[in-house]
Amino acid sequence: MYFAFDEDQKSLGDTVARLLADQDGLRAPDLGRDAVDPARTALAELGLFAMMVPEEQGGAGLKAVDLALSLEALGGALAPAAVLDTLLLSEVLGSHGTAAQRDAFLPPLAAGELRVSVALSEKGCDDAPHAVLARVSDGRLTGTKLLVREAADATHFAVAAQGPAGPGLFLVSAKAAGVSIRAHQDIDPTSGLGAVTFDDVVLDPDALVGAGHSAAAVERLFDGGAAMSACLQLGIAARMLDSAVEYARTRVQFGKPIGSFQALKHRCADLAVALEAARSATYYGIWAYSEDAPDRARAVSMAKAYAGEVVREVCNEAIQIHGGMGFTWELGLHRYLRRAKVIEHAFGAAIWHNERILIETLRDEFGQDATVDWKVA
Amino acid sequence: MDFNYTPEESAFRAELRAWLADALPKGWGDTVFEPEDEHERAMFRLDWERKLHAGGWSGINWPKEYGGRGATLIERGIFAEEMARASAPEGINIIGHNLAGPTILAHGSEAQKQRFLPPIISSDEIWCQGFSEPNAGSDLASVRTRAELVGDKFIVNGQKIWTSYAQYAQWCFALVRTNPDVPKHRGLSFLLIDMRSPGITIRPLRQISGESEFNETFFDNVEVPVENVVGAVNEGWKIAMTTLAYERGPEDALGRQVRFKQELDKLVATLCQTTQGGRAAIDNPAIRQRLARAITEIEIVRLNALRSFSRYLDGADRGADASMTKLYWSHAAQRMYELAMDALGPVAPISGHDPAALALGRFQLSWLQSKAFTIYSGSSEIQRNIIGERVLGLPR
Repeated sequence: MYFAFDEDQKSLGDTVARLLADQDGLRAPDLGRDAVDPARTALAELGLFAMMVPEEQGGAGLKAVDLALSLEALGGALAPAAVLDTLLLSEVLGSHGTAAQRDAFLPPLAAGELRVSVALSEKGCDDAPHAVLARVSDGRLTGTKLLVREAADATHFAVAAQGPAGPGLFLVSAKAAGVSIRAHQDIDPTSGLGAVTFDDVVLDPDALVGAGHSAAAVERLFDGGAAMSACLQLGIAARMLDSAVEYARTRVQFGKPIGSFQALKHRCADLAVALEAARSATYYGIWAYSEDAPDRARAVSMAKAYAGEVVREVCNEAIQIHGGMGFTWELGLHRYLRRAKVIEHAFGAAIWHNERILIETLRDEFGQDATVDWKVA
Repeated sequence: MDFNYTPEESAFRAELRAWLADALPKGWGDTVFEPEDEHERAMFRLDWERKLHAGGWSGINWPKEYGGRGATLIERGIFAEEMARASAPEGINIIGHNLAGPTILAHGSEAQKQRFLPPIISSDEIWCQGFSEPNAGSDLASVRTRAELVGDKFIVNGQKIWTSYAQYAQWCFALVRTNPDVPKHRGLSFLLIDMRSPGITIRPLRQISGESEFNETFFDNVEVPVENVVGAVNEGWKIAMTTLAYERGPEDALGRQVRFKQELDKLVATLCQTTQGGRAAIDNPAIRQRLARAITEIEIVRLNALRSFSRYLDGADRGADASMTKLYWSHAAQRMYELAMDALGPVAPISGHDPAALALGRFQLSWLQSKAFTIYSGSSEIQRNIIGERVLGLPR
């Protein structure tokens, strides 16, 4: 029992943070995407995308928990949104991919050459990963996915769809005939969110991830995305809290730094406590995901729901503490607010995860079958 | 990071679990409960503590040389989890175990450790805490209870307030003024006072729950031998800060989490069995959302404590982090009890033995008791000052 990070885990997180500190453009007030490719290239050169690739495919063979602090750094730096997708796919293909998929996808993923974007959300669906409407029949995929990160830059999509044997995760080339992309109008254009339509797209015979246990692969992808997103949320919250505290320390009104007033001091203290609580939930959640612990689903849902509510609160309060400056475009706090809201709704928002927490608790601790059987496997 | 347990830790858990299965009364938690009368309940808890001691389950992580088990902080965490799992009773010598003991271990002389630690572990001596005074609450350093050194004795005069368990205590550790002529933090000493000394009067105070756990304690020319000062004379503030770090710290929080988890489980079970408006209360989506949040928060109380343990094992000092621990659990628990009262529905105000009460009317008392959480051990406002200034570096 040891609930702290080791030196390697901390050192990797520090390295990622330092590298991204140089990429100022990621955090510029304007909503352009010019900084995305240079940052992604720098991260690829650092070897970040090889970290979770198994050693057999030339990676470092790390687990998600080993990257928790790195993900926090990515979140706080407003790193390119689909870095998450690449890391996530390397994990899921490593654990659930066929030998052919691992050999074909993992080396170029590790090198940063492939850009696989996860395609989950759909119109008319809730956050449940297995309840999607996209469908594969006779080896052809049809459906429209929303909120796909960096959709226009993707070389491939990992698409959750109903297959002949239930829900599954299908790998689709962005160049396949019948794939079309429409950029969204949305609150965070730097995430490159897009709608991707698959119109009777002919799939590769080996497109299904984890044949035979495909639903488990979908759930693994979803839980990994949720746990890693929670880490990103921590990073944003930490950055916003630092900014608010620094402002409260230096901004003078009524002849005193405003941070000496209890109205603001106490608010900052509450945010710091909330952030630490979110860290406890999130670190445990990503560990449970990494180890595939028996309480994985509940632990991940706690992490995603709680960190989501905390990052929202910290962003809102940080803007408030900055006063009029906080509402200016130029200060750029809106970038964190926007990104946090997008992440809040990726891989399940708090309301959905809260329901899952309750279902899991009732089943595991009270032997009660869920009234809503959401489980995919 | 690793939440798996070593074979030694697993063996510790198995041994404790087996012991608990024998030690608890048959039907415990289902048909057999704690006595309702306050005094009987106190004696029941004292018996339970002595039973734990007889079984070797007291002073879990204290050194063996003073009667402790010499286990690790991790095993202390396992102990709390297993006590929760078995819905084991609370103790009564909480102040001895959680505050007096660790403070004497950290700052006491060898003679003080030999004298005081074993009877704390065995609960042969119960302790109370003499910090707050009518005019020294949040401003603790302004305590006015005087201790004058006359020969080889301190003569103590003054009044303490909110002294929980004083009516059961053989000993009191107190923060007293030994030098009134220096800045307030520098004239304080930390005294161990025998509650059987002539000149001590206890007057119970009634709490909003109707109970009288805490008291006013008056000191009228009470003689305290000079060897009962912990640390140096006039350096009591530093000692008191150690006490507060333990009072607000992860061991305390984890012990409480045990109780909160039990009550939350009881709430969930009650809501599963309670019909409201043609459906089980547990099927109300609004309740489900808040219940999930409460489950998460009570779990976070546990996880926060485990993180602190690992920080301490890595060599970090105890300090302002304890204020974060305390601020979190106190508000999380209050929210949980508010949720309980909401979720019980229209019959929520009905308590105790009324046949219409849910869950044997237990939540109403807990709800009332929970109002103290954010006041004692330093009010939330004081914790926020400490966090703001000492953790975040905001100006005074």
